[in-house]
Amino acid sequence: MDTALTPQERATLEAAMARVIPTDEHPGAREAGAIDWLERYLAGDAVYAKPDGSGFQTLTGRLADAWERRIATLRERYRTGAAELDRVAGERFGARFAELEGERQDAVLAELERGATLTRERTQAAILEDELPFFALLALHTRQAFYSDPVYGGNRDQVGWRHIGFPGPATMADALEDRYTTDDYLA
Amino acid sequence: MTTSPEPRRGRKPDRVDVCIVGGGASGATAAKVLTEAGARVAILERGPWLKPKDFSPDELANVNRFYLTPDPLLHPRTHRASADEPARVSRFSPTPFIVGGGTAHWTGWVPRMFEEDFEMRSRHGEVAGADLADWPISYADLEPYYDKVEWSLGVSGDAGANVHEAPRSRGYPLPSLPQTRYAKRFREGCEAAGHGSFQMPIAMRGKPFGGRPATLQSAFVQTMGDPSGTRGGAAQTFVPDAVATGRLDLRPDCYVRELTAGPEGAVTAALYEDAEGVLYEQEADVFVVACNAIESARLLLLSTSAAFPDGLANHNGLVGRFLTLHEYTEAIGVFDGEPLYPWAGGGYISAGTADFYATDPDRGFVGGGLIAAGSAGFPLPVNWSLPEKPAWGAEAKRIDREYFNHSMSAGIVLQDLPQATNVVDLDPDVRDAWGVPVARVTHRAHPNDIAQANWLVDRCGEILDAAGATKVWRNYIDSITGNAVHQHGTLRMGEDPEASVVDAACRSHSVANLYVVDGSVFPTPSGVNPTLTIMANAWRVAEGIARARSAT
Ligand SMILES: Cc1cc2nc3c(=O)[nH]c(=O)nc-3n(C[C@H](O)[C@H](O)[C@H](O)COP(=O)(O)OP(=O)(O)OC[C@H]3O[C@@H](n4cnc5c(N)ncnc54)[C@H](O)[C@@H]3O)c2cc1C
Repeated sequence: MDTALTPQERATLEAAMARVIPTDEHPGAREAGAIDWLERYLAGDAVYAKPDGSGFQTLTGRLADAWERRIATLRERYRTGAAELDRVAGERFGARFAELEGERQDAVLAELERGATLTRERTQAAILEDELPFFALLALHTRQAFYSDPVYGGNRDQVGWRHIGFPGPATMADALEDRYTTDDYLA
Repeated sequence: MTTSPEPRRGRKPDRVDVCIVGGGASGATAAKVLTEAGARVAILERGPWLKPKDFSPDELANVNRFYLTPDPLLHPRTHRASADEPARVSRFSPTPFIVGGGTAHWTGWVPRMFEEDFEMRSRHGEVAGADLADWPISYADLEPYYDKVEWSLGVSGDAGANVHEAPRSRGYPLPSLPQTRYAKRFREGCEAAGHGSFQMPIAMRGKPFGGRPATLQSAFVQTMGDPSGTRGGAAQTFVPDAVATGRLDLRPDCYVRELTAGPEGAVTAALYEDAEGVLYEQEADVFVVACNAIESARLLLLSTSAAFPDGLANHNGLVGRFLTLHEYTEAIGVFDGEPLYPWAGGGYISAGTADFYATDPDRGFVGGGLIAAGSAGFPLPVNWSLPEKPAWGAEAKRIDREYFNHSMSAGIVLQDLPQATNVVDLDPDVRDAWGVPVARVTHRAHPNDIAQANWLVDRCGEILDAAGATKVWRNYIDSITGNAVHQHGTLRMGEDPEASVVDAACRSHSVANLYVVDGSVFPTPSGVNPTLTIMANAWRVAEGIARARSAT
């Protein structure tokens, strides 16, 4: 697995994700391991978990080609985006993004957000991430990292699910072995 | 692009009685009926045959990374609002390309259509800008087949609870499932606002039925396959029934590129490519198209011949026209007090009302639609959302925490009107990863569609208000985006060979051995979820094919 991000890019993006879902009295993106989720995804070998949660599927043929292309696009967008965060941070506050305090980081993010029209698709599932500008991608992926199954590297110890009160399965294998139901949550 | 110049040809498989293209809801229904009637059937299905062990409770893979639905980098479609603008690549109306089709990843709402849905033209006459037509069959013609599908899928519901329901020969095989909190809250809202309501009939079993186990209730249902294999769907019921006859040859990973026609115009073979890129010709007496309305039109348009230079069965230029799509939109409310758990059972163990279904001329539009309870946006954590929620920051996080379990929607199934100018054709520029031209959708909503949708959204809002919501958002629409993922109309059924593509038996007016069994044949789409009707009609058509075979 090649490393998708340089240490500096990683530090910048981790700090940015920590402002997208900040830590308050509950854990945020940082505690959930969102940056690990992102590195895994951008490395290209964590697209689909195996159904029993024991690792990731190996893609082949046209499907593998399509995902290789998509992830190359995303990786490039994160590289440029991380550089942009540091550039704006430097211009406005004379330091790297990760070194700024929270409010200043928010100001930098707000500046990038202004440049990026977030597509208002009627359903999130209709969004094509390949087409999103950096800021929209960052916001979307932080959310995905915080709330997707822990097998993908984020939502560590199910902190995302616990934060909103969602009783997800302990492991994906539970669903395969018929141990997961929502029968306790009816009227 | 991966078009090899000289594709390899494989040895011809044995000729069969009936070749069905597409192994989804309608194709599997037809295969069950035909094999049980003694026919030897091959299903050519372009996607894989996935089994329960291939499915998982994985929102990210299924909803955001197209695990079961077409990836636009491989299977693009294009979309535009009118013929004078460029079409853009989009993920338009995506259903899975796998055995089971769009019933592999559904929840399975299975309401019947209403009597008036078959007679829209007679009842409403000419509506300017629309092309209403009566169905050449009536509700009474379809009723016995609704019954057969309900009893073989194992549908749970309360017959008679929907007071507007058309006459039925008997009740549902299973009583309604235990009620969810969001369905209960919806029904309380209906009652307080003075409307009737009912639990949505659903293709899930509260207890074992017909030799199949009770459905295991999970939060991971909509857009996801079922790792327990206990939900109702074509791959879990009709496919095994057909396999059990010993007469079904279900061939997954076989992409039909065209139907080849002889000089007389009859179909001689289905030309398909397998996973290794080898081309085969499947011969049969009868060919049944069951690819879902967008892909079925595309397949006929790809199938050009001397007899049909503009596409198979396209003797009058109507193949691909009259596309109808419904549309999903809603009012969303948030509630104090007890949590609603709007993901329980997958978020769509629902309740509905049909009080706003029948046309009322005073409203200034034709038709109406079903209203039913659901979640806000999507029932699971990654894709859940509330209107006006910021995309990031402390406030966004607070909203997630406070409302994820305290929000729900009342949503509509829009009854859109058919228009000849809403068309599926072949995109002249865009090809899929196999090098084949893709479907281009040209579609603009009729003013009636928008008026009806937004009027219904107001009713949804009132129901949530009456249910005690502390805040309600009304999501009005100004276009149809295909988000209901219901497709109909492109190969219209009718008596008149000049005004339709197939006849009342769903046989092509111009190709004697070609039938269509999916929603393509619907002259009008109704305002309810279509798949029960698609399956019932497929059953009816397949019985007709079997009868014609035994007569010769
Ligand atoms: C998330 C979701 C939930 C839904 N829930 C409901 C619901 O609750 N109630 C309801 O009524 N409807 C629901 N629907 C709609 C439902 O999926 C469709 O109406 C239904 O599947 C249509 O049946 P069909 O047989 O026409 O097509 P499909 O079931 O889509 O099957 C078509 C098959 O043809 C195959 N195919 C296509 N082209 C080719 C080719 N060239 N060669 C070989 N094979 C080909 C495809 O791979 C596919 O398997 C839902 C849809 C979605 C997306």
